[in-house]
Amino acid sequence: MKGLQSIFLGIFGIFAFSWVGMTLVPQLQIGSLNPQSDEEGTDVYPAPTSGMAVRGAQVYAENGCFYCHSQQVRPDYGGSDLERKWGDRRSAPRDYIFQPIVLLGKTRLGPDLANVGHRPALQEKAAAPATGAEPGASPTASTSVAANEAKAAPSGSPSPPIVSASPAASVAPPPATASAAASASPVPGAPATLPAAGSQPAVNVPTSAPAMVADTIALTSEGNPLPYTAAWHHRHLYDPRSIVPESNMPSYRFLYQKRRVGAVPSANSINFAGAHPNESDENWEIVPSYDAKCLVAYLMSLDQSHPLKEAKSALTVAAAPAKEAQK
Amino acid sequence: MNQTGQITEEPLGDIEVTTSDVERVERALIDASTRLPVMVFYASAIAWLLVSTFFGILTTIKLFWPDLFPNVAFLTWGRIQPVHWDSLIYGWGCMAGIGTAIWLMARLCRTTLRHPLVLIAGAALWNLGVLMGLLGVLGGANTGYEWLEFPGFSALTLFVSYLLVLTWGLVMFRYRRRGHIYITQWYLLGAFLWFPWLYASAQVMLFILPVEGVMKAAVNWWFANNLLFLWFGSIGLGTAYYMIPKVIGRPVHSYYLAAIGFWSFALFSSWTGMMRLIDGPFPAWMITASIAAMILTIIPVATVGLNHHMTMRDHFPLMRYSPTLRFTVFGAIAYTAFSIVGVIISLRSMARIVSFSEATVGWTYMGLYAFFTMVIFGSMYYIVPRLVGREWRYASLIKLHFWASAYGIGLTVLLLLVGGFVQGLSLNDATLPFAESTQSILPYLRGRTLAWILLTVSHLVFAFHFGLMLLGFGRTASVPTFLNPLEGKSGGAH
Repeated sequence: MKGLQSIFLGIFGIFAFSWVGMTLVPQLQIGSLNPQSDEEGTDVYPAPTSGMAVRGAQVYAENGCFYCHSQQVRPDYGGSDLERKWGDRRSAPRDYIFQPIVLLGKTRLGPDLANVGHRPALQEKAAAPATGAEPGASPTASTSVAANEAKAAPSGSPSPPIVSASPAASVAPPPATASAAASASPVPGAPATLPAAGSQPAVNVPTSAPAMVADTIALTSEGNPLPYTAAWHHRHLYDPRSIVPESNMPSYRFLYQKRRVGAVPSANSINFAGAHPNESDENWEIVPSYDAKCLVAYLMSLDQSHPLKEAKSALTVAAAPAKEAQK
Repeated sequence: MNQTGQITEEPLGDIEVTTSDVERVERALIDASTRLPVMVFYASAIAWLLVSTFFGILTTIKLFWPDLFPNVAFLTWGRIQPVHWDSLIYGWGCMAGIGTAIWLMARLCRTTLRHPLVLIAGAALWNLGVLMGLLGVLGGANTGYEWLEFPGFSALTLFVSYLLVLTWGLVMFRYRRRGHIYITQWYLLGAFLWFPWLYASAQVMLFILPVEGVMKAAVNWWFANNLLFLWFGSIGLGTAYYMIPKVIGRPVHSYYLAAIGFWSFALFSSWTGMMRLIDGPFPAWMITASIAAMILTIIPVATVGLNHHMTMRDHFPLMRYSPTLRFTVFGAIAYTAFSIVGVIISLRSMARIVSFSEATVGWTYMGLYAFFTMVIFGSMYYIVPRLVGREWRYASLIKLHFWASAYGIGLTVLLLLVGGFVQGLSLNDATLPFAESTQSILPYLRGRTLAWILLTVSHLVFAFHFGLMLLGFGRTASVPTFLNPLEGKSGGAH
């Protein structure tokens, strides 16, 4: 023990043991997973992140979002993540194989975002009856086509670099999850701005409904954007407390430009719906920068709702709506 | 020279063993040869500590005042938070740790420091790497992996700089005077050799030949925990093993306990990385292995703690006088507390409550500050007077530094652990809205700002005092600066 050689050998041996055990062996086990598909080779999951969402991951990382938001859903025995409806099932290694930066996070000063891109689809179901009358809510022809095309495309290459189409195309959310959506909202205050979704009869709208399309802003009955839509994200990033009064999330105003309204107001400008007196000057509008659009595209690409063989949940995705409907 | 490998020889104090004049001169020569590089590392470290303090207090304020500077990109919370941690880790922790390690290595190898310019170049490069890294993070070049936020060019600079230091350290070890290898040298050799392997493999596996998917997160936390344990932990423990026996003037209680402590420490703590990701998307065996390793770290903690305690036995009153001893013993006790808390928050039943709460942040502060930083403060109080040939000017400032940092870090840790537990309870209660959990910890986070004001005071006082020493305003006296007037004690217990 006291010889110099044994000290050096021990120092190297112990570290090699840790390196092999904690990085090399796991790397052999889970380091080269492939996407999962069904027998016909279709229904491939996960799909590569592409386009603006890749840049968005960088924006997410460089502004340190991952210091407060995790992106991992623990199993039912490991906390209340599933009860909070942060996901239908636990996260699994396969969910992350195409993530450009793996931002699991380990602190939750903000809610988990592993499925934040899946939520607008749920919200859309919930709020469809209330917002159907809103002038901007009906899908424009072009976005519908884009979304449908993306959906029809071979599922190995989804995620077109369009903010709006990506989430709608990569998931086909189950219908009639209205009550789930209403109770899924992790943000207090948000439920108040929602219509009483649980009591509404669920309406089966097309899954490509573009609630998340930036220029067709669906609004709740109180004039706020529908939660987790692109418009909602932009407003939430610009001024979190205009949506969640008790939030302590920083405002990311530096990702937005305030500029004079031109001849035609920008379709992308943030809709404050009168909730923000300081910014309601009609001569000015606030438009997202490219980075802000990428960030929102990234957030809306976060979706682990697709079932995985290795991570079955008590509520499989297919069974969930039925169970919810029985309640 | 004692050729029998008698461990008791080196750490003995000046009083109880009558060192010959030759050895006295030899030590003075060794100290003189380390003066410039060690002081460069120390001065840089303290400057980074002030940077970290500034950003630290700003992060605590912005948590409950989120609308502060909303238009300034580089002051957004998600950018100043990593700047706070990275300047604490790479600026303060690494530079101060290397400074102390250089001095200890020279003393224990009983050889004058050769090629000091290599080390000074290393320090300059390291400063450059940290500066570029921090500016990169502020400017939006965060890589997205905690404790590895620095962009590539900065990481490369740090690595090259580190190789200079490592080469120097090995050369020094090669030219050591024959004799026993003291336990402190084991820890320092371990730290010196583990760090480059650790840092390089994390960089390669994350950025150069990136592993896939969640393996990146596993590598990230394997790196972070090993940096905390094998790098900072080794330097801290090695320093404590030197300073405590040296100051009280008696040998380490048991050399066998020390050996068991070292090997079990290295073996178990290097496997703990996944305790940060309990129930995350990983194969269960990885997480279970880390939890088991974390529990087994009780063995080194118990042996090291027992050893220090037995060494200190009957000498605790000396903490009343010696600044070095007071800081070091505080740090050594904090190490025990840090490990016990680490075990508790790793247990699955506890982890499901606290693993996403601020309690884990509090635990990291325990390791990095309450243990490592306090031990390093202690070593600076011992080493700096020997380098500049002056004694610390004001005992009152040392006392203020100690109490402000002890209360500051104690309060920070307590608030984060308790607040994190409360936050975790409301996080886990799915009937409560999410914001309830954030609201539940906000009072604790406000309290943490008060704690950081204390820490700011302590760091400013220390920097001022260090500046006095640096500029030659220390006391010219033959006895060290004691915290309190000696009451009938003989001098020398510095």
